[in-house]
Amino acid sequence: MAIECRNLSYIYSEGSGFEIQALHQINLLIPDGEFVGLTGHTGSGKSTLIQHFNGLLRATAGDLLVDGESIYADGYSMRKLRSKVGLVFQYPEHQLFEATVLQDVMFGPKNLGLSAEEQKERALEALHLVGCPEKSYEKSPFELSGGQRRRVAIAGVLAMKPQVLILDEPTAGLDPRGRYEILDEIARLHKETGITVILVSHCMEDVAQYADRMIVMSHGSVVYHDTPAEVFKHRQHLEEMGLAVPQVTSLMQSLAEAGIPVRQDLITVSGAREELLRVFGGRSV
Amino acid sequence: MREAVIGQYYPAESVIHRLDARVKLAGTMIYIISLFLFKSFSCYLVVAAFLLTVIILSKVPLGYILRGLRTVIFLLIFMSMFNLFFTPGDIVYWKAGPFQMTNMGVRNACFMALRLSLLIIGSSMMTFTTTPNQLTDGLESLLKPLRKIGLPVHEIAMMMSIALRFIPILMEETQKIMKAQMARGASFDEGNLIQKAKSLVPILVPLFVSAFRRADDLAMAMEARCYHGGDGRTKMKPLRYRGRDYAAYAILAVYVALVIVIGKVWYL
Repeated sequence: MAIECRNLSYIYSEGSGFEIQALHQINLLIPDGEFVGLTGHTGSGKSTLIQHFNGLLRATAGDLLVDGESIYADGYSMRKLRSKVGLVFQYPEHQLFEATVLQDVMFGPKNLGLSAEEQKERALEALHLVGCPEKSYEKSPFELSGGQRRRVAIAGVLAMKPQVLILDEPTAGLDPRGRYEILDEIARLHKETGITVILVSHCMEDVAQYADRMIVMSHGSVVYHDTPAEVFKHRQHLEEMGLAVPQVTSLMQSLAEAGIPVRQDLITVSGAREELLRVFGGRSV
Repeated sequence: MREAVIGQYYPAESVIHRLDARVKLAGTMIYIISLFLFKSFSCYLVVAAFLLTVIILSKVPLGYILRGLRTVIFLLIFMSMFNLFFTPGDIVYWKAGPFQMTNMGVRNACFMALRLSLLIIGSSMMTFTTTPNQLTDGLESLLKPLRKIGLPVHEIAMMMSIALRFIPILMEETQKIMKAQMARGASFDEGNLIQKAKSLVPILVPLFVSAFRRADDLAMAMEARCYHGGDGRTKMKPLRYRGRDYAAYAILAVYVALVIVIGKVWYL
């Protein structure tokens, strides 16, 4: 399901004298089935933008089209939109409330008005997708570890079977293993079901590794919207905005500056390894 | 939701802002007592003049002050209506069943509405011009004598300032949780009263969990910095009366005398 922004602007507390322009004339097209990385410095408007995608915030100007339909049209059902566009907030485990893990995951499907069996079926499926061990289904979510709770919370959104899945910093505060497990599961889900994924992240390595395309925001505007390899060519500009390129890209660029003829547009460790083997292979350095 | 807090501190540079918090607390108490002691409109002329002077001196815009009244407007109307239709009096203008409109009713309705408005505006002038921290400091200092009878004054003041400090944080947290549950298809304004109450569970449970977590963290952080209650604790900015504070006390005394005298000699 495609999402399109047309001159989307958003102003916090409009007309109160304390106005803050959070989004400024955003024009974007996120096509169906893409894995998009969304990044930008703190306060660049990332979180504000994604809250527009499922109608939690209403743009002060401009239009937002989901599946070709304007969500601001009269009679457009926000509930239907929220079942299509799933949003996982930062630290989603703080929103768990039910007595058992299973019941918590069933909350979304229940709000969609599904039958009890369907609710359970979807919840089990979602819990399985995020790799939550079966023995914890009947436990209280507050008994689980932080990483497990995060999975349950993500399952709570997946159980609504969204066609677009938005994740706001899903790996914040997790250990390296937890982070790759969660990101790998999201990537697998993307591949298997073909849903659109929008991943908000500060970590350039994550974006480089998983995203087809990336969006870079700064001060409420979209600065870059391209493939990660293209965007990471602008190392200096990114650094000026308080961002960075993946460490391995930075390494390759430094090597090139030192006169070693390596490609500079490599963004993953595996790609860099192959390139280094190609350049140095057969030669002793 | 952001405007629900009445009397939120309004930062400005003014004499009233600079006054010692203890003066403002005592002044507010005296002001409130003066409102309830008298039953003559003439006294309220003095009260209103006093309040207006304070407002002008404080540099808080009138619009900002009146906005605080908006939240209690229903209470005001409700109370005036009761007084208007249920007070017996000498001259009856209109009567229908248990309802009647008399000269005393009209008088009482106006009087009550005036009293409540003056009360709310007056007491919110204190919170407009005093930060929560100054307020609790002032309260702690004023209540200090009660420590002799075993009241944990410092602890009460600390609890108050923490509670005040956490209001905006918990408001923000509530917004966040509401949005997260809305993203899972929850709605909070549908159905009958019971359904609405039930729909609050997905907000309240995480909110309480997070409040307890924050309280735990805060207690730990305070202990890590050797906090052990009020005994032997000194202040970075101790409250100290200055010339203007004594002047303010003098003005308060004049105000009280004036209200009493006017109330005695001129009944309106």
